[in-house]
Amino acid sequence: MSTVPTSYAADPLLVDTVERLLADICTPEEIEHAEQSGWSEPTWSALAEAGFPWVGIPESAGGSGGTLPDLAAILRAGGRFAASVPLAETAMLGGWCLARAGLPIPPGPVSIVEGATVAGGQLHIDGLAAWGRWAERIVAVDGTRVFSLRPDQVTITFGANLAGEARDRVHGRVDLADIEQADGPVGMPHVVERGALSRVMMASGALTAMAQMTIDYTNARRQFGKPVATFQAVQLHLVTAAQCAVRAQMAADVAVRALDRGDASFEIAAARVVADDAITLGTRAAHQAHGAMGVTREYPLQQLTRRLWSWRHEWGTTTTWRRRLGTLVAEHGADHLFELMTD
Amino acid sequence: MIEFRPSELTAAEQSLRSEVIDFLGAELPRGSFVPGLGMNAAKDPAFSRKLGERGWLGMALPVAYGGHDRSAVDRFIVVEQLLRWGAPVGHHWVADRQSGPVIAKFGTDEQKQRFLPGICRGELSFCIGMSEPDSGSDLASISSKATREGDGWVLDGRKIWTTAAHENDWIIVLCRTTPRDEVDDKRQGLSQLIVDLKGPGITATPVPFIDGTADFCEVVFDGVFVPDSLVLGEIGQGWSQNTSELAYERGGPDRWLSTYLLVEELLRRDHDGRSDSLLDVLGQAVANYWVLHQLSLSVARSIDEGGAPAIESALVKEMGTRFEQDVVTAVLAHLDEAPNLADESVFGRLLVSAALTQPSFTIRGGTNEVLRSVAAKGLVPSSGTR
Repeated sequence: MSTVPTSYAADPLLVDTVERLLADICTPEEIEHAEQSGWSEPTWSALAEAGFPWVGIPESAGGSGGTLPDLAAILRAGGRFAASVPLAETAMLGGWCLARAGLPIPPGPVSIVEGATVAGGQLHIDGLAAWGRWAERIVAVDGTRVFSLRPDQVTITFGANLAGEARDRVHGRVDLADIEQADGPVGMPHVVERGALSRVMMASGALTAMAQMTIDYTNARRQFGKPVATFQAVQLHLVTAAQCAVRAQMAADVAVRALDRGDASFEIAAARVVADDAITLGTRAAHQAHGAMGVTREYPLQQLTRRLWSWRHEWGTTTTWRRRLGTLVAEHGADHLFELMTD
Repeated sequence: MIEFRPSELTAAEQSLRSEVIDFLGAELPRGSFVPGLGMNAAKDPAFSRKLGERGWLGMALPVAYGGHDRSAVDRFIVVEQLLRWGAPVGHHWVADRQSGPVIAKFGTDEQKQRFLPGICRGELSFCIGMSEPDSGSDLASISSKATREGDGWVLDGRKIWTTAAHENDWIIVLCRTTPRDEVDDKRQGLSQLIVDLKGPGITATPVPFIDGTADFCEVVFDGVFVPDSLVLGEIGQGWSQNTSELAYERGGPDRWLSTYLLVEELLRRDHDGRSDSLLDVLGQAVANYWVLHQLSLSVARSIDEGGAPAIESALVKEMGTRFEQDVVTAVLAHLDEAPNLADESVFGRLLVSAALTQPSFTIRGGTNEVLRSVAAKGLVPSSGTR
């Protein structure tokens, strides 16, 4: 149980392959470089060559095949190694929408924009798109209609999250006749759930890496003649970091299992609340345990924590998800509360 | 990094769960009894005997001694339902959770014949004889001692914070059998004795608890003779046996469900309300119950698969008990009225009890500080990779 991490029902060979690949490429230097330039070409090329950004999309639709748990394991690995590329957007969100609508999957990265509505024969677009400037296609959804936009059809205003990952604003009005589009069983509420879950998967990987980094550091760092990990005051932080990692991991695994089978509204909302808390408490504990070292750019802890602080704001806030969960619970009523939580 | 594998109930386990739910609904219909807070719920020997008749006590103990050779997950299922119902588990709680398993593991055949069937029937009640006035977290520093006499040992000393010692039948006492100055390490020379609480030389005096109840006791042993037949395991092996006993105490649903009924009753009370404040309390609590249930189930499954999830159990207990307190804080902050001792409603009683007893959650069964030390030792540095 305390050996090699595995994810729920994922192909172990695939997990091993993607983790080795990312461990080689995503060095702290490469991540820092990607933050400065806005992109990590070596990471994207290597992942794309192996087909990882299209796992979870059927081969018949132009994807790499594989299961949702496989995809979850890849996103978790992406989080663990701070891979600065649109893995979630291509495999789980935009690319998935294209596949569901039977639209072509481009060979390059895909992004997705949350704010899009059809009005007066045009698609009105205004919203954030992760990695928008790097996308070969930007996906928008209104009702069951899926739109596949070329970047030259919209205006892209550059932005970045706290970790230097491209978070661009995409806006414009495009004549419907000019947009490649099709109907598909998608729906924005479901896309939002998938988006929220993608962040839980990524966060669970980053929290695991962060907890291990904290364990390693506090065992190596000596003060008062012994490793700081032996001090009860530091053990508080060590244990908190580990608890946050296992909570997020379990939340991700169980929510993926539920989504793999069908409706996962309850599990995704719960997973998101758990993960957001784990991010808040876990990053605080890890930084406190690292002392001043952790807040320098020279030490890689901050590459993980800045990503965690960013992802928790994407695809809904903690408050949104907490109240959505609370509403679900209230609708079920007191008599069915325990079964709802434990089924 | 340590990892918890997700688990699920099999069809057979799900039907066990349904059976327990049906039993509780029929035996203890809501409104017909005063529900309690987790393991602090009332003592009801008649209810314990009914559980015994259903085969739901001593579930994982050997059939040969009245047990049922069931799994840790089966026991998890039964215990989880009993606790969420607030059922009166006080009489059999310690015997079922830890005294039975520790006797099954270290006891002689004679001891197993003598105690296990009664535990499985829900008849025998046990106490935990660990803490002393001067030895809490530093348990190995205990001063209770037993000296050799004839075919047994004479026990002198005192134990404290012993729940229900004035009513229960037996206590497993950790004591020193080799003087401290004759051993290198204070963890050596300790032994466990099974002591009859109704026997001569024993005085159990209630220590009134913060909520005014009188289950907490101090127990004085004054020249109590304990025959060799009641030495548990090996003389001198008390520390490692006791550590193993503590592992049974941790990681189960009793470490995160103590204040669950507060949430359920709040929802029942405010069922028409949809205030943001209520939704926040519900959403926050439910997400945590959901993940703690999964983590705790994973620990039980790991035990059934031959694992020894001591670190995992310590992590669950440490976070589960803090969460039990967080629930009380959140519910109190949501309410627009203070807990009132005269409030006789189910919710009112639970609220008063929870508000007053919550500090004990992170202390009993090993303080959170000690649990963190246990867990931290198991969180080992990686060998180079992230």
